[in-house]
Amino acid sequence: MMRKILFFGLLLFAFIGLHAQADSSAVNREIKAGIRIQKTQKLYWENGFTIDYTCSKLWDKRIHLGLSYVSSRLGSAIASNAIKQDNYIFSAAYHFRRNKSFQPIARLNAGYFYADYEDPIFNELDNSSLLVSIDAGVYYQFDFPLTIGLSAGYNLSSGNGESGPGSLYPIFYQMSLFYTVFKQ
Amino acid sequence: MKRIHLIISIALLLSLSFAACNKTPDITDDMLDGEKIFDPSLYDSAKYLVSVAIENPTTAQINTPVLIAAHGYSATTYEWDDFRTYADAKGGLLISQVLLGGHGRTYDDFKNSSWKDWSISIIDEYNALRAKGYNNINFVGSSTACPLVIQLIKDGTIAKGGMQNILMVDPIVVPSDKMLTLVGLIGPMLGYLETNMTEEEEGHWYHFRPQETLKELMKLIDLTRKDLENSVYLPTGTKVKVYKSIHDPTADAVSAVMIFKGLKNRDNSKIDILMLESDKHVITRLNGRETVSNHDREIQKQVFDDMYKILTK
Repeated sequence: MMRKILFFGLLLFAFIGLHAQADSSAVNREIKAGIRIQKTQKLYWENGFTIDYTCSKLWDKRIHLGLSYVSSRLGSAIASNAIKQDNYIFSAAYHFRRNKSFQPIARLNAGYFYADYEDPIFNELDNSSLLVSIDAGVYYQFDFPLTIGLSAGYNLSSGNGESGPGSLYPIFYQMSLFYTVFKQ
Repeated sequence: MKRIHLIISIALLLSLSFAACNKTPDITDDMLDGEKIFDPSLYDSAKYLVSVAIENPTTAQINTPVLIAAHGYSATTYEWDDFRTYADAKGGLLISQVLLGGHGRTYDDFKNSSWKDWSISIIDEYNALRAKGYNNINFVGSSTACPLVIQLIKDGTIAKGGMQNILMVDPIVVPSDKMLTLVGLIGPMLGYLETNMTEEEEGHWYHFRPQETLKELMKLIDLTRKDLENSVYLPTGTKVKVYKSIHDPTADAVSAVMIFKGLKNRDNSKIDILMLESDKHVITRLNGRETVSNHDREIQKQVFDDMYKILTK
């Protein structure tokens, strides 16, 4: 499953890249890359990387597509016994007030979750799941090529004891910091 | 016009919130929550506590393994009656069934108790047994009793030579119902949670669970999870075994992973875990349940046999 999602993500970005080369004169594009800090309510810090893409063909830059990887390996599990878990996320966001510095956003996320329980004694436990979540928040675009995003979200696929990974919790908060690497 | 609409909406929301806050449960006499005392350990403690039952223990009694059995959140001593029946038939084991602090009394007593109050009866019985010279003290806890005993290990209350074995049945560090993580936010609006129980369970578990105690439960398990992330070391000579249902509707099985990773023997070796193919929370208590299968009884016996072997070897 993880391979499928990564493949899908790579395909999407390859498409975006080819699209950019083939029709560069007519379309305005923007690619941002940065770091994401995520805190789950009553659980871990999970940090990682994020990429954001938009262009004038995506509803005149109102729609942003994103790829993110956040993991407790880069957060709570550093030098601790916290469970090592990874989130691979593809997202589509709608940006309100797209031409302003301050942009409220609403986002739909889908992806894959994996937790490493590290010992075969736990092989019977669910440790992976499809991820589906929604989040909403605000982005602030500075005059220089930096953007900060804050949001809160809800995981629709958290574990309930009887099925699903137990360390997949419902409520999360995120902060993303982007650098604009390409703007046309 | 828009402003008036906003003010009316806020006023409506606030009045709804206050109405919810003022909710008091409709407690009847057949519920544990009421004034009537159900738990026999409150009026017949000698039958439940070894420290009270045996005033002057003999040398043989002092050397007999004693098991302090503690129940989970909102339950009573009833939760360990099944094992007492099993162990009494076998012999060779003394059992102290402790009633957690704040539990077994009225709804208000429960509502006003903190998680630290809950562990007081474990500490009291442990200290009383130590004072009488018992030298083979053991502990078994179900569900919430497990994070309570982890806290007693962490703060040094259970120290070197204090306990031989600590057995944990369906310990809770992660709740299966993840909405518990929002109890601080939505709890005041709900006031309490109502539970569905069988007629027999009614007198042994709280029918209404005050949001204040759910907050305490969340506080306890959140603290324990963080402590386990930083490692909790067992006292020298104390061994731990965890029994965990794989499909537990109350304490998520991932709790066992966190305990396995975070609770360590002094020599850094791993603690013992047995994962159970069960969908029951606290399989060691089958009395009073609505449905019990042969499979449940087999697993209960498997756990009881294993516990008894560990405690009496």
